[in-house]
Amino acid sequence: MNKKLAVAKWEFMEKIKTKAFLISLILTPIIMVAFGVLPSLLAMKPDESSVVIGIIDESRAIATSLAQKVDEKYRLPDGQPNYMIRELFDGTSADELKTLGNRMIANDEIEGYFYIPATVFDSGMVEYRAENVGNFRTQERFSRTIEEIVIEWRAKKEGYDPLLLRRLMANIDVRSIKVTGEGEEKESGFLETFFSAYVIIMMLMFLVLTSGQLLIRSVVEEKSNRLIEVLISSCSARDLMVGKIIGLSGLGIVQVTLWAVIAFVISAKFNASIFQLDIFLIALIYFFLGYLLYAAIFVAAGSPATTEQEAQQLTGYVTLLLVFPIVLAMPVMQNPDSTLVKVLSFIPVLTPAFMVMRMPIQMPELWEFLATIALLIVSVLGMMWVAGKIFRTAILVYGKRPTISELIRWLRAA
Amino acid sequence: MLKVTNLRKVFDRIIAVDSVSLEVKRGEVFGLLGPNGAGKTTTIRMILNIIQPDSGTVTFNGLPFREETWNIVGFLPEERGLYRKSKLINTILYFATLKGMSERAAKPVAMKWLERFSLVDSAHRKVEELSKGNQQKVQFIISILHRPQLLILDEPFSGLDPVNQILLKDILLELRQQNTAIIFSTHQMDQAEKLSDSICLINKGRVVVEGSVADVKKRYGKNSVHLEYEGDGSFLGALPYVRRADVYQNYAELELSDMSQTRDLLTGLDGKLSLRKFEIVEPSLHSIFLNVVGTPGSAAAQPRKATA
Repeated sequence: MNKKLAVAKWEFMEKIKTKAFLISLILTPIIMVAFGVLPSLLAMKPDESSVVIGIIDESRAIATSLAQKVDEKYRLPDGQPNYMIRELFDGTSADELKTLGNRMIANDEIEGYFYIPATVFDSGMVEYRAENVGNFRTQERFSRTIEEIVIEWRAKKEGYDPLLLRRLMANIDVRSIKVTGEGEEKESGFLETFFSAYVIIMMLMFLVLTSGQLLIRSVVEEKSNRLIEVLISSCSARDLMVGKIIGLSGLGIVQVTLWAVIAFVISAKFNASIFQLDIFLIALIYFFLGYLLYAAIFVAAGSPATTEQEAQQLTGYVTLLLVFPIVLAMPVMQNPDSTLVKVLSFIPVLTPAFMVMRMPIQMPELWEFLATIALLIVSVLGMMWVAGKIFRTAILVYGKRPTISELIRWLRAA
Repeated sequence: MLKVTNLRKVFDRIIAVDSVSLEVKRGEVFGLLGPNGAGKTTTIRMILNIIQPDSGTVTFNGLPFREETWNIVGFLPEERGLYRKSKLINTILYFATLKGMSERAAKPVAMKWLERFSLVDSAHRKVEELSKGNQQKVQFIISILHRPQLLILDEPFSGLDPVNQILLKDILLELRQQNTAIIFSTHQMDQAEKLSDSICLINKGRVVVEGSVADVKKRYGKNSVHLEYEGDGSFLGALPYVRRADVYQNYAELELSDMSQTRDLLTGLDGKLSLRKFEIVEPSLHSIFLNVVGTPGSAAAQPRKATA
């Protein structure tokens, strides 16, 4: 046991001091936040001053109510109107007006203009011209408002009361309420279920990737500098393997814990309760077993590698295994009780991800928990045995990569 | 201390090691000699339990390899390397803990050795900042820090300058004095001859010569003549009673088929070379080595196939 710990301590202390680890520790959450949050924050950012929008209203029936509605609905944070409407129509031809409008855009007098042809009530066609047509918010707000006016106009023409119509067409708000196994009601948004499962699986993935890659790298390094021979003339290959797994897992746990804290702080800020305790505890069991299984797969796949490139390649394949459940996340969430999903839950490499995803949506039955956990434990033990055998021989293979038949021979060897 | 009996290992139908037996006592320096690919490294690996023999036994003080054995052996592999990004002292302490020492106990010993090798100022520097030779010294420290009962060194002298070769030799003799059993493999026969108490010469996986250096030399008899001369000595190898000739610019080592022919040799040289020295000596390990292993391309130099 002492030697395992000595190996674990060494791997942990030496790797945690490296720049590469510190960079990935800090940079990854920043990148993830940047990718996930920044675009929507930018898009949601309100305008800072009133935007002037031109209207060429050939129908003569829209501009006024449009200006009124937009003024009612959209205000800047300081209370000023968000949009100033400039009526450009003066009786001249549409082409001349468009030329005028384009010049005004070029001179920055207006942000853009809507061209509403006289036929709008029949065709429903409106044009928007602007330098920046990528500003979806302005377009969306105006087109929705113009649509309202057009619908009201059509309704009036057909003899319906526009107010009545609006009431009839009121949106439906769906509140989803989850019924737990005991028949209790529990309000839960989609976000909550989505996050609790997804966050755990993502963490598992990151933990496996971090520790797994470090593990293969360290084996490849020790092979290339031949220290492996000194190591296994000092302790057993098993001690070495287990020590490495413990030490590098510690490293992964540091990383994931730090990220979890960041995620927790952010979610607390948005008042989203992510975890339910019971689910979280069962998820931890799957997390732990899943981690051991993947670590063993990493050792088995990675220890025959003799160069950094080979290691990279092999890690790539294992990573695909990890990404697979995440690709399947959506169908699982939509249909957690389907036979296919149930069957797939029994494939050991998919079990942790699938069970964790299913739990918050619809609790699997007790026998499923027991059976999958039992199966997972058996496969962890089996995979660890295989990994140990391969590791024992592979660490002494320097030159060429072993063939499959050689790998099988190693497994048979005592 | 160490007793190896009938060790055999076959890789892919090539017999790497075949019925190798040897014995090393404490306080003895044992030279493991042989050409490249003779099976020295494979033998060492089997002794250290790094690979399993197909048959044969290895015992330490009469016992097979056990948990504790790891802590009483020290090993310097032939191909060197260290963790490049780690600090010297940390690396040394790590390996000491793997040998069962506590860091606290190991640290002063490590500093003592670093001082001996004039590396004390570099203790907190990274390994990659050191020269190759200095890295090798660090590896040597790693192999001896825990005071092993059996120390195995694969080509310990290669890569060291003459000053450090002497330092290393001195330390080895001290360890021998302190009752350490030392096995070292080398290609440098003069090194082996000066240092070893016993030697074992392996060729193509088999032990071909073994015993104490004195015994081995005696067994190969006084059939060697060393010459120093001026002139062209290239004809020496072609003389009828010369079995083997090792001819240099102004020096030659000859081996005669029969020692009674020294007189013939002397007369044969008359008038052809101006002799400065004519000496009848015991053969050097070097010449025994060449004798036993054969010259490149000769039948003795081909690998053997297993007939399984």
